[in-house]
Amino acid sequence: MTTQQQQHAEAPDAEALSQSVGTRLRSAGVSLRPQRAGVVYALILLVVILVITTIAMGQPAYLSSTNISNILGQVAPDAIIAVFMTVVLISGNFDLSVASVAALSAAIALETIDTIGTVPAILLALLVGAVVGFVNAILVQKVGVNAFIVTLGAMTAVRGVVLIVLNGESITAKSQALVTIDDVVLSFPFWVGALVGIGLLAIAVFRFRQARRSTALPLDGFFVALIISGVLLLVVSFTAPDLLTQPLPVWLMVFVTVGVSLGLRFLVPGRKLYAVGSNPEAARLSGINVNFYKMAPFVLSGLAAAAVGVIYAGRFDSVDPNALTGTELTVIAAAILGGTSLFGGAGYVGKSVLGTVILFTLSNGFNMLNLGSNYQYVVQGVVLVAASAVYTVASRSRRRRKVAEAAPPASTLSSTLSSTPTLTSAPTPTGAVAPERV
Amino acid sequence: MVVVPPSASRLDAIESPTLEIRNITKTYPGGTQALRGVSLSLRAGVVHGLVGANGAGKSTLIKIISGAERPTTGEMVWLGSSTDWRRPADAQSAGVAVVHQQSPVVPALSVLENVYLGNEATGLWKPQERVTRFAALCERVSFVINPHTIVAELSVGDRQMVSILRALAQDPELILLDEPTASISPAERAGVLGAARSLAAAGVAVVFVSHFLNEVMQICDEVSVLRDGELVDEFDRDGMSVERMVEGIVGSRLHAIEATKPKHDVGDVILDVRGLQSTSMNSAVSLQVRRGEIVGIAGLLGSGRTSLLKAIFGADRRVAGEVVVNGQSLAASPRAAVNGGVAFVPEDRMSQGLIGDWEIWRNTSLADSRELSRRFRFLDVARERLLANRARRELGIVAPSVDTAVKDLSGGNAQKVVFAKWIYKTHHVLLLDEPTAGVDVAGKADLIKLIRDLAERGIGVLVVLSEFEELLSLVDRVVVLRHGAIEMEFPADAVSVADLTASVGGLA
Repeated sequence: MTTQQQQHAEAPDAEALSQSVGTRLRSAGVSLRPQRAGVVYALILLVVILVITTIAMGQPAYLSSTNISNILGQVAPDAIIAVFMTVVLISGNFDLSVASVAALSAAIALETIDTIGTVPAILLALLVGAVVGFVNAILVQKVGVNAFIVTLGAMTAVRGVVLIVLNGESITAKSQALVTIDDVVLSFPFWVGALVGIGLLAIAVFRFRQARRSTALPLDGFFVALIISGVLLLVVSFTAPDLLTQPLPVWLMVFVTVGVSLGLRFLVPGRKLYAVGSNPEAARLSGINVNFYKMAPFVLSGLAAAAVGVIYAGRFDSVDPNALTGTELTVIAAAILGGTSLFGGAGYVGKSVLGTVILFTLSNGFNMLNLGSNYQYVVQGVVLVAASAVYTVASRSRRRRKVAEAAPPASTLSSTLSSTPTLTSAPTPTGAVAPERV
Repeated sequence: MVVVPPSASRLDAIESPTLEIRNITKTYPGGTQALRGVSLSLRAGVVHGLVGANGAGKSTLIKIISGAERPTTGEMVWLGSSTDWRRPADAQSAGVAVVHQQSPVVPALSVLENVYLGNEATGLWKPQERVTRFAALCERVSFVINPHTIVAELSVGDRQMVSILRALAQDPELILLDEPTASISPAERAGVLGAARSLAAAGVAVVFVSHFLNEVMQICDEVSVLRDGELVDEFDRDGMSVERMVEGIVGSRLHAIEATKPKHDVGDVILDVRGLQSTSMNSAVSLQVRRGEIVGIAGLLGSGRTSLLKAIFGADRRVAGEVVVNGQSLAASPRAAVNGGVAFVPEDRMSQGLIGDWEIWRNTSLADSRELSRRFRFLDVARERLLANRARRELGIVAPSVDTAVKDLSGGNAQKVVFAKWIYKTHHVLLLDEPTAGVDVAGKADLIKLIRDLAERGIGVLVVLSEFEELLSLVDRVVVLRHGAIEMEFPADAVSVADLTASVGGLA
C-alpha cells in the first residue's frame, strides 16, 4: 500500500484525529480509579495517619529523611524479590521457594567466601538460585506438576539444604567483602534528581501532545506515573536532597523496578509474557514460545532471590537456618496488594513494590508508635484481605455500571454505520460479556 | 418417524396470552445489539416455533424469557400483568420451565431422583407419592420409563425426555424447548416431538426452538423468524412452508454470495502433507493444497477434522510424516508453522484464538509482534494500532474503537479479529476450523468473501465446515474424512449436499 493510499484510507478517522484535552484526561483518569490505583491511595492514607499520630503523640517527625531512608533500606531486599514474583505471577505461575533460595544463597556465600574468594562466592550463590529456579520451571512446565506444589516442595527441600549446609548453626565469615558491598553508598547531587524529574515531566508533556492523534495509545497509568514520579523527584531534590544518598541495595531496587517495568511495557517479550499469562493456548497457537515465557520467570525469580540472599549475608554478616522465613508470603502479599492477579496475565511490578512499602510502613509505624509487634500481623492480614475486597468489589460495580450505560452509545454506533446496514448485524451470545447465570 | 398432527384445540386458546413480549431490545456492553425490538405473544395450548440463524437473537430471547438475562428496554406481560424477572428462579417460580439442548442431568441418580431434584416441596422424600406423581407426568407426554433406572444407563434421547419430565414436574405454564432434538438420534426425536404436542394439548404454552425446519413444520402451530435481532416474519399453519422459513432466516444476502462463486485458476502446490500423523490421529494422512485453492474437509464430529488441522499446524505432537509449505519442511511446533507462513483460525475463537480481555489492537498484533516491532524488539505501538485500524476498516469490524476489548465483540466481529491477526503478515497457507460457527448471517457472508479474496491472492486454504451447503458453496475441492482417514475426494461442483452427507456417514 502506498503512502497516499494509506492517507486516503485513514480518512474515515479524520474527525477523531484531534482528541480533545478532556478526552485525553478522562482516559488517563481511568488509571486513578480505586481498583487500579488502590495501592497508592492506601499508602498515602497510611502515611497521613502515621504523620498525624506521631505529631499528636509528640514523637519525632515521621517523614524525616532518616526514617524514610530507614524504611527504604528495609524494603529493598523484599521489593527486589517482589518485582520478580510479580513477573512469575503475570506468567500465570507461583513461586513459594524464594525465601529458602535466598537463605541458601546467603549460606553458600558466607560458607565459601573465605576459601574461594568474593566474586566466585557471589557467582556460586547466584548460580544456585538460578538452578533452583530452573528445576522449578522444568517440573512445572515440562513435567506438568502444579506450580504451587512444586515450589512448596522446593521451599521445604531447599530450607532443608540450608540446614545441612549450616549444620543447624548460625555462621559468619572472616571476609568483610559482603558487608562492604552492602554498605556502599551511592550519592546523587540534587541537580541530577531535579534534571531527571524535569525529564520525566517533559516526557509526560510529549505523551500528552502525542495522544491527540487517534492512532496513538490513549493515556493511561504510565502517563500518570510519569507525572507523579517527576513531581516527587523534584520535591525530593529541592527539599530533602539527602534522600538521594542511599545504600547500594536501595538503588538496586529502584533500577530493577524501573528496568523491569519499562521492559514489560515497551519490549516484545513483555507483551508476550502478558499474553502467555492471559491465555496460554491462544498464545501458543499464535506462535509464541509458551515454554520459554513460562520458564524464564522462575529462573529470574531464583536469581533475584539469590541476589537478595547475598545482600542479606552482607547486611547481617551472618546467616542462621531460619533466615528470611516467611519472606515468600510477605512478597506474595505485596504483589496482591499491588493488584497483581493470581490467575496470570495482569499486574505491574511498580505497584508490587508499593505494596511492599505498605507492609514495611505498617510494621515501621507500629514500632514508632510503640504499639508492640503483637498486633502487627493481624493488621497486615486484614489490610491484605481488605485490599483484595476493594479491588474485587470496585471492578464488579464498574462492570455493572458499564452494562447500564451500554445502550446509548450502541445506538449511535449503529446509526453511524447505517450506510452498511448488513454489518451492524446481531451478535451471538458468545460474544457478549454477560455471564450466563443458571 | 410418526408425524404428530397439530392439535385441533388451538382455536379454543384465544384467551389472553400466557406471556406477551412487547418491543424487547437487548444491548450488550460493548455495543452489540442482540435484539432490536421483538414482540411475541405465547398462548396456552399453542406450540410456537422460533427459528433463525446462529446469532439471530434466539438464545438471547430464550435467556430473557427464562429470566437469565434482563431486556435493555421493552415490557414483558405474564398472565396479564407486567413483570420483571431478575433471576432464573423468578421466572421458574412464576411458571417458566426450560429444556436445553443438553440439559444437565445427574448420571449417578435415578430417573425419579433427577426429575424431582431441586424440586422438593418439603425436605421429606416420600417415595410412594413421588412414584404416583411421576406416573402421571409420564402419561401426560406418553412416555414409558422405569423411574428407578439410573440415568447413566439411558440413551441421550431418553435423558432428554428425563429433562422434559423434570421441567414438567414444576407444573409450568410455559415451557421452552431449546433445540431439544439437536443432540439425539432421528429415531428418538419422535418421542420428544410427541411430548411437545401433548404438552400443548394439556394447556401449556410451548416454545420450540430448532434448526430442523421439518420438525418445526411437523409440530408448530405458529412460527416466528428472527434475523439480526429482529422479527422478520411470522405466520401460522396456513402460511407455513420450509421455503418461507429459509427465506426469512437467510435473507437474500447469502444467496447473492453463493451465486457469484468465482472461477479461478490454481497454482503450484503450496501445502504438501505427507503421511502426517499426530498423537490424536488414528492414521496417517496425505493431502495437497495449491496456491489459490480452497479445499474443504468434510466429516462428522469425531472424524478427526480438528486433529488434522492441529497436526498440520504442529499444535499436537507429531508421530510420523512431514508438512511442507512453499517447499520448506516445517518442524512440528506452532512457532515453526507461524514462521513458515501457516495461519490457523481455531474452532473456539475465545479460548484459542484471542485474548478476551485485550483490546482489538493488541490481539491483531499477537501473531506478528516481531515484524511489528522496532529495533532491539521495542514495540511499535503506533504501527500496531494503525494495522488494527486498517483491519477494522477493511474487514468491517464493528466496534467503537480499536481499544474495545474483544470479549465485548459479537461472534462475527471477534472472528474477523482472529483473521486480522494473520492476514496482514506474510503467509502461504490458511487453516480454518469452523470459521463461521456462531457467526450471524451477515458476518458469515463477509467472512466467506474474505476467504475467497485471500485465495485469490494466492494463498492455499484448508477449511473444516460442518454445514455442507456452506462448505460446497465456498470450496473448490472436498476431502471426506472418516475415522481419521481420507476416504474420498470430489471437486465441489461434482457433488451435492445429499451425496456429501451420505459419504461422511459411510453410506456411499
